[in-house]
Amino acid sequence: MSADEGALRRVLPPERVDDFLGACDDYGWLILVASTVLAGTLPLAGLEAGFYMTFVTDLFLFGILALSWDLVGGQTGYPSFGNMAFFGIGAYTTAILVKDFSVGFPVAFVVAGGLAVAFAAFIGVIVFRLRGHYFAIATLGVLLAAQQVSRNLEITGGASGKILLDTPSAEAFYYLFLGVLVAEIALVYYLSGTRFGFVLNAIRDDEQKATAMGFNTTYYKTAAWMLAALFTGLAGAAWSLDNTFVDPQTAYNGAWNVELIAMALLGGSGTVAGPVLGAFGLHSVIVVVDTYATGWQLVLLGTAVIVTVVAFPKGVVGTLREYAAEMAYYERGGMAAANDGGDDPDEDSSPAGGEAG
Amino acid sequence: MALAQFIVNGLLVGALFAAVAVGFALIWGVVDIINLAHGEMVMLGGYTAYWALALTTGTARGGPLVVLATLPLVVGVLFAVGYLLQRVLVKRVMGTDVFLTLLVTFGASIAIQQLALRAWTANPRSIQVELADPSLVLGGVVVPKMKLVAFLGAFVLTGALWAFLQRSRTGRAIRAVSQNPEAAALVGIDVEHTRATTFGLSSAIAGAVGVFVATILNVQPQMGLIYTLKSFVIVVFGGVGSIPGALLGGLLLGSVEETVAGVISSQWTLAVSFSLLIVLLIVKPNGLFGQEASE
Amino acid sequence: MSDDVDAAAVDPAGDRAVLRTDGVTKRFGGLTAVDDVDVRVEEGEIIGLIGPNGAGKSTLFNCITGRLDADEGSVSLLGEDVTDWPEYKIARAGLGRMFQETRVFGDMTVRKNLLVAAQEGGARVGRLLGRPDSALQARTDELLAYVDLDGLADVRAGRLSFGQQKLIEFAMALMAEPEVLLMDEPAGGINPSMLENLIEYIRTANEDEQATIFLIEHNMDFVMEIADRIYVLAHGERIAEGPPASIQNDQRVLDAYLGRE
Repeated sequence: MSADEGALRRVLPPERVDDFLGACDDYGWLILVASTVLAGTLPLAGLEAGFYMTFVTDLFLFGILALSWDLVGGQTGYPSFGNMAFFGIGAYTTAILVKDFSVGFPVAFVVAGGLAVAFAAFIGVIVFRLRGHYFAIATLGVLLAAQQVSRNLEITGGASGKILLDTPSAEAFYYLFLGVLVAEIALVYYLSGTRFGFVLNAIRDDEQKATAMGFNTTYYKTAAWMLAALFTGLAGAAWSLDNTFVDPQTAYNGAWNVELIAMALLGGSGTVAGPVLGAFGLHSVIVVVDTYATGWQLVLLGTAVIVTVVAFPKGVVGTLREYAAEMAYYERGGMAAANDGGDDPDEDSSPAGGEAG
Repeated sequence: MALAQFIVNGLLVGALFAAVAVGFALIWGVVDIINLAHGEMVMLGGYTAYWALALTTGTARGGPLVVLATLPLVVGVLFAVGYLLQRVLVKRVMGTDVFLTLLVTFGASIAIQQLALRAWTANPRSIQVELADPSLVLGGVVVPKMKLVAFLGAFVLTGALWAFLQRSRTGRAIRAVSQNPEAAALVGIDVEHTRATTFGLSSAIAGAVGVFVATILNVQPQMGLIYTLKSFVIVVFGGVGSIPGALLGGLLLGSVEETVAGVISSQWTLAVSFSLLIVLLIVKPNGLFGQEASE
Repeated sequence: MSDDVDAAAVDPAGDRAVLRTDGVTKRFGGLTAVDDVDVRVEEGEIIGLIGPNGAGKSTLFNCITGRLDADEGSVSLLGEDVTDWPEYKIARAGLGRMFQETRVFGDMTVRKNLLVAAQEGGARVGRLLGRPDSALQARTDELLAYVDLDGLADVRAGRLSFGQQKLIEFAMALMAEPEVLLMDEPAGGINPSMLENLIEYIRTANEDEQATIFLIEHNMDFVMEIADRIYVLAHGERIAEGPPASIQNDQRVLDAYLGRE
């Protein structure tokens, strides 16, 4: 153990971190309600339409996207590069319905979410036959293909997309994004305590075993994917009007897709709070960079992704958990029990080779 | 007759896709990394040639031989880029989760693409090749000479790579590392260096193709991802680590895309090649994961 | 569990087999890994499956569980022909499985590992979308106490030692309350003192939980002590079947293990 680590232990003892994380778990709902109330009162307390409101609204947007990605990528172990396809579908559906069919925004919003879910169900049947490299690239292909389709169709307005006028106020979108985010956090948080959530984690850890235990994993993966599509699609639907225009390049933004993955990883993949906090953090940094060095934010994004993956793959929440859990194992009898035969968990002590068949 | 023209066009372009995919397949097979920044190597190769010409002759144009003369430079520069990419970055995520390796190369792809955008703007650029009589007509099929040169060039590059892997000491080391890195290390092969060299070679061939792309089409900073995705489709079709498979896959993809472009519209090529990938994955999923395993 | 499996209902002919294979054959390319194998496992039995390395034992298990599709023959579970069923459906019908290499869900806590293993309620959305009820929690606590790991309920399963993981996997298997439990080398890689415990656990599971057990094992002392009957495979073929005493003295079995043909 290095001297640094010793110092870290004094300043931040693992048991304190454990207590803190435990409290967050115990009071999760309270924290969520309190944060929601706080965020809800910000506009009343003087946050006016303009730079800062847009900034906070975007935090909510990216929180939704990162948490949706993580539901499949982090909780279920199927990291997708194509989530933004749902976003684009939500955005275009809303834009077309509102502009060309004069449908009211609330109806368009619901239809957009529904279409994104239907698309996810359809595409899920195909892509969930794949794993690892194949899944990731196939989803990237879905995104690029969806983008190309939108660029080529007349109904989507081709390469220039659609311009939307007479959109609701910035406050309306602030509350809409906040509402969607809170609904999503509540749902994911609730699911993480149910056996449905456990099955998703089981698929991530060992899908073969989950199948051998009697779970039709395709059903669970697709369900998680459809939930992710719902929230991503709703975010896209709200974004299209808030943004006042929709075009293929931004609605199916591949760089955003990587951005939201970076957010989830940075905050802590496979947790509820991690992706949301990661989104808040990384988006803030990106906005700062964009303000002082306009045009460099994507360069930064690429770099941030690399640094995150290389140096910090478990993210903030994940790293804290590891740190706190380190002592919990030994304190609760792990050490004594581990001496049952000196078997090292990392060591392959089963007979080598096994059955060749 | 039109169909023959589409297929010839397709084969001409397809050879370029194939040569790019060969590099992609090499890294996948040897280092077990999907390099999502592979398409950026094509882009960087094209720009290297473009600027080499623009800075030395004042214009990005010249006779075919002048253009071809940029190849050694491009190969050298891109070899270095690829070598460093592995040595500095990819090495750090080797052996971790597959997804993290994808993400690191995706991050590199975005960073390179965006830096290129800052440096050279989004305007497409191309190298003008001065030929007195730019096209041949063979049995009613028009064959642009420069495309023919690119086609042959792609084959020469692939053949050279293949010969290098088969004949040279380094090539044998690369094959040894691809089969069994531990054993290779035991017999004294520097595995890290060999992997980085593989990245270098792969990037060099992609960069060289970039020169041809710059002459017959154009280059722009955001072109890379399409080449990466096409390489993936081709390699899935041809088999990981197989050079002949990648060649065949490339020619086939090129023909299909050009036929689609000719019959329907060039704007649908990506959607079509992606649909092909999906069909492929459904029809022969076992081909992708190897044989049905006994355990 | 077994209470609702009326022996007569299992097979009109009075066959008490809860699991049987008839002529199961599996080929990999030119190699016949499992060759025309018949196995009958009756309710309440503990059956051993032994054979030299490469005899096709795990492949037979994979054909039974539906991980692999048999090229020929049929598999029936509780009187139903499950040959063409998908793996998850066979598992849900009452077939539990422990793998040769220990497999727990490493990033989940021990408690969640057990909770997710419970099959009661199956995949019905209502059950899965609710929080695990107190009965399920109690059952988890009971099983963890049973394998003496109750102190580790909230620890990440991946942190446990190999032996502990093996016990967790065993507890997970029991959590599902299987009619038939397939165990692939349960004694592999664990130390002698724990082996004693394991025998005890398996016996208790068999008697108290009324689980029929079918296990692959290389440890002869272990399998001779625990099994009611033993099947022997060599080169994919079933070469012997019978109670431990007769297997021990079977010349063909000795030949197979010593590599004589």
